[in-house]
This record gives sequence, structure tokens and C-alpha cells, in this order.
Amino acid sequence: MEFFLQQTVNGLTLGSVYALLALGYSMVYGVLKFLNFAHGEVYMFGAFAGYGVLTVLGGPTGLIVPVWLALTLMFVGAMVVSSGVGVALERFAYRPLRNASRLAPLISAIGASFFLQAAALLLFTANSRSYEAPQLIPIENGLSIGPVDVWAVRVMVIVVTVVLMILLTWWVKSSKAGKAVRAVSFDAEAAAMMGIDVNRVVLVTFLIGSALAGVGGVMVGLVFGRIFHFMGFIAGLKAFTAAVVGGIGSIPGAMLGGLLIGFAEAYTTAYISSTFQNLIVFGLLIVFLLIRPSGVLGRPELVKV
Amino acid sequence: MSNIGVDRWVAESSEHGPKGKGWTAPARSLLDRVPSGWKLLGFLVVAAVYPFLVPQAGVRIGITALLLAMLAIGLNTVVGWAGLLDLGYIAFYGFGAYFYGAVSSDQIGVQWPTWVAIPVIVLASAVLGALLSLPSRRLVGDYLAIMTLFFAQVFLEVIVNYERLPGVDTNLTGGPNGIIGVQPWQLFGFPFDTFNRNYFLLLVLLGLVIVLLRNIDQSRTGRAWRALREDTLAAAHMTTPVNRLKMLAFAVGAAVAGLTGTVLGPVQVGVFPNNFQLLFLITIYAALILGGLGSIPGAVLGAIAVAFTPEILRNPGIAGWLFYIGVVVLLVTVLRRWRMVAAVLAGVVVLGYLVRFLSLAIWDETILGAANDTFLSGILDGWLLILGPASDVVSNYAFVLALAGVLAVTVARGWRRGALLVPTIYLAILVWENKLSLQDSVTRQLLFGAVLVVMMAVRPEGILGTRRVEIT
Amino acid sequence: MSTPILEIKDLSKSFGGLKVIQGLDLSVAPGEVLSVIGPNGAGKTTLFNIISGIYPPDSGEILLDGTSIVGSSPEQIAGLGIARTFQTLRVFLNMTVRENVMAATYGATKARMWQSALRTPKARREERETRELAEAKLSFFGERLVGYRWDQPAYSLSYANRRRLEIARAMATNPRLLMLDEPAAGMNPVETLEITALIGRLRDEAGFSILVIEHDMHVVEGVSDRVVALDHGVKIAEGTYEKVAEDRAVIEAYLGYGAAGRK
Repeated sequence: MEFFLQQTVNGLTLGSVYALLALGYSMVYGVLKFLNFAHGEVYMFGAFAGYGVLTVLGGPTGLIVPVWLALTLMFVGAMVVSSGVGVALERFAYRPLRNASRLAPLISAIGASFFLQAAALLLFTANSRSYEAPQLIPIENGLSIGPVDVWAVRVMVIVVTVVLMILLTWWVKSSKAGKAVRAVSFDAEAAAMMGIDVNRVVLVTFLIGSALAGVGGVMVGLVFGRIFHFMGFIAGLKAFTAAVVGGIGSIPGAMLGGLLIGFAEAYTTAYISSTFQNLIVFGLLIVFLLIRPSGVLGRPELVKV
Repeated sequence: MSNIGVDRWVAESSEHGPKGKGWTAPARSLLDRVPSGWKLLGFLVVAAVYPFLVPQAGVRIGITALLLAMLAIGLNTVVGWAGLLDLGYIAFYGFGAYFYGAVSSDQIGVQWPTWVAIPVIVLASAVLGALLSLPSRRLVGDYLAIMTLFFAQVFLEVIVNYERLPGVDTNLTGGPNGIIGVQPWQLFGFPFDTFNRNYFLLLVLLGLVIVLLRNIDQSRTGRAWRALREDTLAAAHMTTPVNRLKMLAFAVGAAVAGLTGTVLGPVQVGVFPNNFQLLFLITIYAALILGGLGSIPGAVLGAIAVAFTPEILRNPGIAGWLFYIGVVVLLVTVLRRWRMVAAVLAGVVVLGYLVRFLSLAIWDETILGAANDTFLSGILDGWLLILGPASDVVSNYAFVLALAGVLAVTVARGWRRGALLVPTIYLAILVWENKLSLQDSVTRQLLFGAVLVVMMAVRPEGILGTRRVEIT
Repeated sequence: MSTPILEIKDLSKSFGGLKVIQGLDLSVAPGEVLSVIGPNGAGKTTLFNIISGIYPPDSGEILLDGTSIVGSSPEQIAGLGIARTFQTLRVFLNMTVRENVMAATYGATKARMWQSALRTPKARREERETRELAEAKLSFFGERLVGYRWDQPAYSLSYANRRRLEIARAMATNPRLLMLDEPAAGMNPVETLEITALIGRLRDEAGFSILVIEHDMHVVEGVSDRVVALDHGVKIAEGTYEKVAEDRAVIEAYLGYGAAGRK
């Protein structure tokens, strides 16, 4: 039971990160109807930005500011860098292809993803880095839920994710910009005719999606340790899986999908085999895609003739 | 026809002027006039002479190019003709290579004769490809792409962890170490056991594949593929069995990839999981897209370009020349006026001396002189700032700034563009001499990624492809 | 009257709660041009989509020459002899005009892929026949789609010519029933007259039975042997053009209640 609870917390943490990433895929897909394949790289740059801020502040052992401030600055730094990368992607890799075939943006995205990986390799070398978060916040600090002790960092990850989700849902539902995003994802052409600046909406979507990915990157660095130039690829695939499982284009769907994938991965690692963790997650996705391509919360689209 | 009206003149106007637009137009119109059979013959003749003119290393690069060309042509069937984005393609290459490796080495103690192994492998690859096409019945576009990408990942995981799969007791794939000691093809007692022999084997296979695929392209099957690429629903309404044709496309692509895989093992006397990473899939895509999606000559040309590029990058002298020539060519095409080009170049030179002067004054770690010992670096010696290994941070910042500069130049207009070019070019040279030219494999990756993005934006039809109209 | 080519019995279809077609009966006799008219949203295009196999009907029967085609896929239905054009043009833009038409013969040709790959005599003969068939179909349009256009990509054609090409493509599937979805939409008056004449020739010279959706009443008047009017998925009138055009329910469907002179 204790072990199971521990894995549940594990899955919840992992799922939070996937959910944050999945949101980026889902939002961009909603607005532009294409898959931002390079989103995983945005997240990777966020993780490195967080590391950079940490290093500038003196590293995990020699912090020159209080821990809470350091963490805040790391998140902010990651959000800024990730949004920068995301917006640059939109402006230079995707915007020129707005009216091209469906194949073009995807290939461009693959190229951009590849380019960003190589750039990270040049900038950060192939060595992996570690936040060494236990030195920031000792592993003993945390909450006790029944028989399980939950590390404060994990609690923070889950809480921050929940808060961000609530904020985002509110923003999309109620704010003027959020309504514009929904209008564009419903029908970009009609929205443009109603005076909505589609380019602006797309930019905002990338900005928010990328910032969330940056937060996710720092979280992974804090909880799971190693960050490296290739980390975005597999995480991106899984987050995309999460977005699809939840129903692409749907914000609650992305959250739900993220959690599902997180749990699936945590339990697979714990009860079956860590070697086949990826194999099983991908296998699940393939089966899922075949049975219900529109996802748990998505609606199947009608063929328009 | 009785009278030629305006209507007809307009319709034929493309034939009055020079064909197409852009700098490749003359070459393309010349190429278009040569019948494809002669083009193929010409290519084969040149390719057949090539190994006698170059050292052994050159033949190896030639083999790489031919392997890549075969793969690009196979991929073209699925992506270029049928319009199905297949990111699992690399797995069929791996499947063919591992299958051949397993039955032509001591791995599991089985040795099949080549004439048995090859047909079986090609057929098995085709069947596997047909199986992967099943999801394409329900999934289209991005979903299909991701699904196939998962397939490739699953394939890799299985290859690497085969031994640990439940219920497995043979070490069929050799795990992370791969299969070593793969035997060469042997036909009629003739072993293809040298680089040269494998080169010619590949050349013959390539010629064969080109002829067969070209015939298919011009038959009802090829037309049906294009029809379903253009408009799947309309194709179905015109009696095209869509699912069957998707399956055929996947199967044909997979068969070509599987066939290509069987030659990889003998060439490198082994098969390794690293041969089938995503990196190589992207390389195949880069070749295909560079040459022109949908065009066989394009795929071959793209493969040659992509195979030889890293070899050129590996030689710092030639790479340097190419880099500087590239910079000047880009300058000319971007600015279009010689006076502007000269002004910008002068600006770069002045900026270089300025930076050097300031740097020497305030920072004593500056090292002078080029990092690479080439002819060009001799000229650059007195001008450029060469950062020591300790100042990696500076070159990192320079790299990021140079990237930002390049992006800014693409959106800037008028004099701002010229003004931005000066620091951008200086930074680019700085980064090139201090960073890029020293890490050729990463630079290649950077280049391929950039090629895909730039080609999609500027010339989605590639060098030899024809531009497609999507919506009118 | 001989047995109908197409017979639809009690057909119903709804999307969600919206009943698009309700209990529709309809038949097309051999060699007949039947026009389907009705205001926007009456369910005309949905009817075509159900007949051609894009959507399955919720209930009802569709018989082609007395055999049910419900549940068959679009390509099977096309193979059985129902060809259609689309309201929003769907020609294969990046293929040549000739190829567009040749592509529609896939179901009727037999060369296996390996035969094409090896260019066996049989495959070559079939390819030549396909080519001749396509050229014959294109020649039907006379001066409008003449030879020099055949090797041009379809995207270079004018709007009216794309409509003609779509019809040629449908003809190449060798159908018994031709379904034209608003063939005169977006055409100028001269072209509209031509289309009217063309539909008559398709019936008289080429011998097709034709089901046509059309908004332009001049075309409907000019080509129809019979007219069926739909409104909200229900058949509200059927008969000759004159009879339907004067039908009170039809006028009300188009112009609103009271328009037919009711006090």
C-alpha cells in the first residue's frame, strides 16, 4: 500500500510535468491545427535556463539569495527563455508556412527541433547537468500523507501545476485575449474578419504554451535531476501522447492526459519493468490512437464535403 | 484549331518565357529537355567511373551516398507520391539490416545463402510496411506521423532490449552491441567483399529500383497515389481503393528500405542500433526535401549533397572556404547591390579591428591567431579575435547573438538590414572560427535542421521538384 | 416506367439532434435527368454524400438497379456505377488534366503493380487504352478542353474548366448514374447556358441517367425531366418543372410563409 501510494505521488509529479508540456501542444494545435514538433526543445531550453539562473545565483550549495527567491527566479528565467525560443519558432519556422500544405510545417518543425538540439549541444555540450535539488530543499522536508512522506519539491510541483491550470482555464474562459484564442481555434478566417489579429493570437498562444513548457523543464530538473540536450525528444513525444489521449485542442484534456501518462509510466516502472517503460507507454498510445483518435475529451470531427 | 485566342496564349504563356523562376531555372529547363532514360544512364556512367578516380575513403563516401539515395527514393514513394508522412521509415531499414545480419553471421548460427535471404527480407519488409499502414486507415496527417514515429521508437527499444523481452532466450539482436561479423552478399559464388564491389552492387540496385519505381509512378498505381495525395476523398469517389493504395505505398517504401538495409551490414561488417536513430531518419528527410519531394532525380541529388557535406565539413580548410564563399554569396543575394555588399564587408572589417583593439585593451586572456591552421586562417590571423578554450562563455554568447542577428536580418528591410548584417557577419565568422569549424558533427546537425526549415519556407519543392499548388 | 436506376426508400439521417433527411423516397429512371432543388440547408448535398457512401444513413434503403448499396464504401459505390462531382471543386490540382481523368479509371483497370513495374505488354496495352479513354472523355467538351490543355496541371484551369474537368473525371469511371452537385455554381450566364446544353448532351449522347442539384432555375428548367424539391430534409414537391415551380410549398420554402399569396 505504501509502495503504491509512493508510486501514485510519483505519477502525479510526472503527470504534472507532462500536463504542462501537453498544454503547449494542445493550444498550438487548437489554434494552428498543426503539431509543434519542436515543443520538447522549448522545454529543454527552459530546463537549462533554470540551471543557468541557479548557477548565477551561486549554485545549490552556495546560494546568495533565499531559496524561495532562487526558485522563483529560476521559474521566471525559464519562462522568459522558453517563451523567447517558442516565439522565435513561431515567427521564423512556422509563420512563413501558414498557407502551405500540411506537410510543410511539420517538416519545418522537425528541422527546427533538430536545429535546437544541435544548438543546445553546442552551447551546453553533451554532458548532463543536475540541479541537485536535495541540497536546495532537504529531502526530509515535506508533507506526511498517511504512511508516505512527500518531499516538499514534489508538493510544490503539484501545487504550482494546479495553480497554473486554474489560471489558464480562467484566462481562456474569461479574459478578452483568451476569448480571441478560442475564436481563432474555432475558425481563424471568421475570427480575422471579426477584427481579431490572428498573428497576435498565435503569438500569445506560443508565448503561453512555451512559458508553461519552461516551468515544466525546471520542475523536471528539480524532481528528477539530470538535464541534457536530448531530454526534450522523449518528453515531447510523451507529452504529445498526453495531449492526444486527453483529446487534442482541449485544455482539460491535456491535463487529464498528462496525469494518465504520468500514472501509466510510474506504475509501469514500479510494477513491470523500467526497461520497457517507454515501450509500454508508446504501445499504449498506439492502441489508444487506433481505438479513439479524438481522445478522451475530444469530439470526432465530421468529414466536410 | 481555328483561332488562337487570348485564352490560349495565356494558357501557354509559361512556355513563352524562360521556364520557371529563380537561379536554378536554366539548369532545370536544360535537365527537363533530357529524356529521363538518358539522365539515368548519364548518372550511372559518372557514378561508375567515380570509384576509379578517388581513394578508398572516397569510395566509402560514395557508398554512403548510394545507401542514402536508395533510402530517399523509397521514402519518396510514401511521402512524396502518396503524401503519407512516415516517420517510422527508419525501422524498415533497421529491420532489413538486422534480418540480414541475423541470417548472415554467427549471431544465432544461421547462414542463409544470399539468393534466399534477399527475397525473403524484401518480402518481409514489405509485409511489415503493409502492417504499419493499417493505422493510416483511420489516422491522417500529424497523427499518422506520430504513430509511425512511435513505431520507430518501439523498434529501437526492442532491438536494444531484445534479450530482456519476456520469453526470449536467444540473443538475436546483440542488444546495444549489435551484430558483428556480418557476411557480404554472395551471388553465383562471387562475394561482394570489398568496398568497390559493394559500391557497384549498390549502384546496380539503385538503377534497378529507379527504373522499377519510375515505371510504377507512370502507371495506374502511381496516378492513384498522387490522386489520394491531392484529395483522398475525391480519389475514393473515383474508384480508388484508398486503403489498399496506402498499404501498397508503405509496402513499397518498406521493401526498398529493407533491401537497402541488407547492404549496410556487409559494408560496415556489422549492424548497430546507432545506425537507426532519429538522426539518420532526419538525414534521409533532409536529402529528400533538399532534392525535391516527389522527384527521383531530386532524391538522388539530395542524397549526394547530404552524403558529401559532412565529409567537406570534416576538412577544415575546404569547410572554411565554403563558409566564406557562402557568406559572400548570401550577402550578394540578400543585398543585391554591389555597393551595399562592399559597404557591409568594409563595416565587418572595421568592426573586427575595433573589437580586437578593445579586447586587447581590457581583457588579457584574448588569444590572437586562428584556431585552425589553414590558408584562410593566415589571412584572418591579424584580424579576428580567437578565444581561448577558457572563454567558452563568450563564444556561447556570440553564437546566440549571431543566431538572433540572422533571424533579425530576415525580417529587417532597407538600410537596417545592411546595418544588422555587419555585426551578424562578424559574429558568424567569430563563431565559425571558434566553435563550429571545430565540431563538425554538431555543425552538420545544425545545418540539416536549418536546411529543412529554410527549404520549407523558401523553396518547399526542393532543387528539382515542381512547386505544388495547395489552395486556389 | 421501367425499373429505376436509383431507388431511395424511406431514407433518414440526422447529425446529433438535427434531422437532415427525413423519410425521403426518390427514384431516378434510366435516361432521366432528375433535379433536386431546395433552399440552403435542405439536405441536398447530404443526400449526395449518403448516396455516394460518405455517411451511412440512419435508416432506409438505397438501391442501385435493384441492389442495395447501403454500407458500401465510396470506392465500391463508384465502382458499381455512381459517379459524382463536388459542390466545392475537388479536382486533383497538381496532376495534369489528362491524368485527372486517367486516375478515375483505377477501379476499371487491372494491371498489377509488378506488371506496371516491369512494363509487361499487357500493362502497356492497358495504359494506352486508359489514355485513349481519357482523351475520348475530354473530347466530349469540344473546344473548351482542347488538346493543348491536357498536359497542363489542373490548377492552371479556369473555374468553369475545372467544373468541366470534374465532369470528365466522373464520366471516366463509366457510371450509369451521374450525380452533379451544383454544376452551374459560380459560372457566368454564358457558361451557365453551356452547362445546361452539356447536361442535355450527357443524357442524350452519352446516355447517362443524371441526378443534379442546382440552384439556378434556368438550368433546372432547361435540363430537368423531373424535379424534386426538398426542405428541411423532407420532400415537399415532385413532378415536372412547371408543376414544382408553381407549388405553394416550394415557393413558401424559398420565400417564407405567406409568400404564396396566402391571406
